[in-house]
Amino acid sequence: MSSSRFTKPTTMIAGLIAGLLFATLAVPLGAQPVPKAPYYDITKEFTIAGTVSSVVSKFTPGLISGSHLMLVTGRGDVDASLGRWGLEGKGALKVAAGQQVQVTGVMKTLKDREVFVARIVKVNGHAYVMRNEHGIAMSPQARARAGKKVVFRSEAL
Amino acid sequence: MNCKAYGISFAAVFLAFGLLTGCGGSSSTTTPPPPPPPTTSNFVFSVSGQDGLPADSGDINYYALAGVVTINTSTGAVTAGEQDYNDGDGTTSPQGGGDSISGGTLTVSSSTGQGTLTLNTSNTALGVSGVETFAVQFVNANHALITQFDGSATSSGSLDLQSLSTAPSGGFAFTVSGVDPGYDPIAVGGVFTYATTTPTSANGAIDLNDDGTIQTNQPFTITFNAPDASGRGTITSSAQYDIDGTETAIAFNYYIVGPEAIRIIDVDTTDAAIGSAFGQGTNATAAGSTTFVDPTSSQAVFSVAGNPWTFGNGAVGMFTATAGAAGAGTFAGVGEDFEVNNGISSGLEASLAGTYTMGANGYGTPLAFTTDFGDTTTWGLYATDPNLNLEDPNNTTGGGGALVLDLSQSTDVLPGTTGVIIPQTDSATAATDFNGNYAAGWQNFNYYENGCGGCETDMVSQGSMVSAGALSLTGDDSDPFATLTATTLTTGDTFAGTPQADTINLGRYSMLTTNSDPLAVTINAATPASGEFDLVMYQAGANQLFWLELDEGSTFSGPLEQQPSTLTGLPGASIRPSAQIKHK
Repeated sequence: MSSSRFTKPTTMIAGLIAGLLFATLAVPLGAQPVPKAPYYDITKEFTIAGTVSSVVSKFTPGLISGSHLMLVTGRGDVDASLGRWGLEGKGALKVAAGQQVQVTGVMKTLKDREVFVARIVKVNGHAYVMRNEHGIAMSPQARARAGKKVVFRSEAL
Repeated sequence: MNCKAYGISFAAVFLAFGLLTGCGGSSSTTTPPPPPPPTTSNFVFSVSGQDGLPADSGDINYYALAGVVTINTSTGAVTAGEQDYNDGDGTTSPQGGGDSISGGTLTVSSSTGQGTLTLNTSNTALGVSGVETFAVQFVNANHALITQFDGSATSSGSLDLQSLSTAPSGGFAFTVSGVDPGYDPIAVGGVFTYATTTPTSANGAIDLNDDGTIQTNQPFTITFNAPDASGRGTITSSAQYDIDGTETAIAFNYYIVGPEAIRIIDVDTTDAAIGSAFGQGTNATAAGSTTFVDPTSSQAVFSVAGNPWTFGNGAVGMFTATAGAAGAGTFAGVGEDFEVNNGISSGLEASLAGTYTMGANGYGTPLAFTTDFGDTTTWGLYATDPNLNLEDPNNTTGGGGALVLDLSQSTDVLPGTTGVIIPQTDSATAATDFNGNYAAGWQNFNYYENGCGGCETDMVSQGSMVSAGALSLTGDDSDPFATLTATTLTTGDTFAGTPQADTINLGRYSMLTTNSDPLAVTINAATPASGEFDLVMYQAGANQLFWLELDEGSTFSGPLEQQPSTLTGLPGASIRPSAQIKHK
C-alpha cells in the first residue's frame, strides 16, 4: 500500500551489520529483557475534559487504527483513540460532535503523533469503558461481561 | 457365519493358494498386484476466525472449529464425520457427541489442488442451514490450507490426513489461543507427557497470558480420555477458570491427526480456544539450547500472530542461535513486529538479540529480547520433535522447531499471540530454492470498511514462483474487507509481484512500495480500495515460508508451502469447473 510508513534507508545496512555483530558478541548470558514501558502505563493516567469536534469511525490514514474522538480541550486539540471496538456493537459509546466529554487515559506518541489512549469516556453522566487497565481494547462481549472477575488457574491434582 | 467358520474358510483358501503357486514352479511365479488404495480416508480439520452467528444478529464473535471427516478419495463424497464448533457466545456444539457430519462433497482441481469442501452437519445454526463450506488449497495429497467460505464465518486453518495406526505417546509441546469467559484474549502453552489415565502428580508445566496477566511455569495435569473410533475424545486437565470465586474446569476436546499431532479445542459455552499439541521426540528428555535451529547453520525463522480477537499483531524474522552452558543460549537476527491496533511497529529489519534457557524436557524459560522489538519482549518456548513438520505433520521433511507463546509482561498488550520457530535449512541457497509451485494462505485483519474494527479476511491460493523472479498466485478470498455482509466470497483473485531477496539476511524477502514492488492484488476482478500490499517473507526452506503484511490499517500472517512438482493422489480431484464454485 502506498501509505506504508515503513522506510528502508540504504545507509542503515552498514549500521545493521555492525549492530548484529555487536549484539552477537556483547549479549551476556542471563541478560534481562530490554527495559520497556507498559503500552498503557496506568500510573501516568489522567483525565481531560473537552468538547467533541468530530467523531472518526472510519479508517483514516495517519491515525492509529480504530475509532477516535477529536476533542477541543483547555490544553489544545486532542486526538483520543477509542480502540478497535469503541463505537461498535452493544454497549458502544454514543456521542456526537458538540457534546462535552471527560476522557481518562494516557498520552502516548504513536506513529509520530500525540495520541490520548482512552480507557474511559464519560458523556451525559455515563461512563463507557474503552480499554482495560493494560490498554487492551474491550470488545462488545467483554463489555457485557465486565462485571465478572475471571482468573485462570492450573494446579497439580 | 461365525468367526471360527471364517477362520476355517480363510485357512482353506490360503492352503489352496499355496498349493497352486507352489506347484507351478519358480518360472511361473508372479508378483501379486499391490492392493488398491483405500477408497476412504479420514481428514482432521481445524480453523479459527470470526463468525457472524446467530445469523442476522449483527454480532461478530471469535470462533474455533475442529473436526474429522471421512472422504471417499475417489469421488470426493463426504460419508461421515463429527465436529466441535464454539464461539463462546451462544453458538457451541452440543457436548457429548458434538455435531455429526452426514454428508458433503470435496471437489478439487487435479492441477492446482484448489477446491471446495462442503459439510452437511446436524447443527442448523451453523454455516448456511447447517451446511458449512470451506475453500481448500491442497499443498499435497495429505495436507491443505482451508478457510470457511460460506458467509457465516471466516477463518484460517488446515486439513490433514488422519493416521490412527499408532497411538500418541511421550512428550508433547502445545499452545492454545482464544478468549476467556470475560471474552478477553488468552493463550496458554507448555509441555506435558501424554497420559491416558489420570496421573498422580503434574505431568506438565504451562505458561499463560490472559488478557495481559501472565503466569509462568504452572503445574499442569492433563489426561486424554479414550478417543472414539474417529480419534475424537475429551480431555481432563487441571486448567480451570475462577469466575467470581467459583472454579470450573475448562472443557477441552481433542482430535488425533497422528501419533505426534493433536488438535485441541475448548468447548465451554462462555469461552473458546483452539490449538495444537505436537510430539517432542528426543526433545522431551534431551533438549538442548540449539535444539530448535538447523544443526548445520544454527539458524531458524519464526512467525507469530495474535488470534482473531486480539490486536492485528504479528511478527516474523530469523536468527542465529549460539549455545551456552546448561541449556542457555543467545540469539541474534532480524525481524519485523507489526501491531495495527496498537499503532506500534519495530520498523523494517529490526535487529534482534536476546537470551533463553532450554530445559532438557523442551520447556524453555522465557526467551527474552534484549533489543527493542515493538511490544514483543518475551516468549515462552516449547521444543518439538526435530523430525516433525509443524505446518504439515504428515510431511517427512521440513521438521523441527518450537512452539512460541507471547509472555511480554512489561508491555502487557499481546495476549493471545502464538506461533512457531522452524529451523532454517537453506539460507545459503535460499533465493535459488524459492522456486516452483506454492500454496499460500493468509489471515488478514483490517479497518478498511466503515465501522469495521479489525475485520477479518482469509485467503487461500496457489501459483508459481520463479527463482529470483515473479510470484503469481490465484485463489479465493473470504469476507474481503467487509464484516460478513453482502459480498463475502470471491474467487479467481490474483496476487502477484517480485519478492526482493535480502542479500544480507539470506532467506528474507520484501515486497514494498518503497522498493516499487508491493504485492499487486485483484479481488473480485478489481484492485481493492486497500491498494497493493506491503509485506516481508522469511524462508525456512524451499518448502515453507511465512509472510507478514505491514500496511497501515491492515496486516496478515500466513504460510507459503511448496507443492510437489506433480500433484498426485489428491482426494476428490477433478478438473474444477470454475462456474461451479462461483460465490458472489
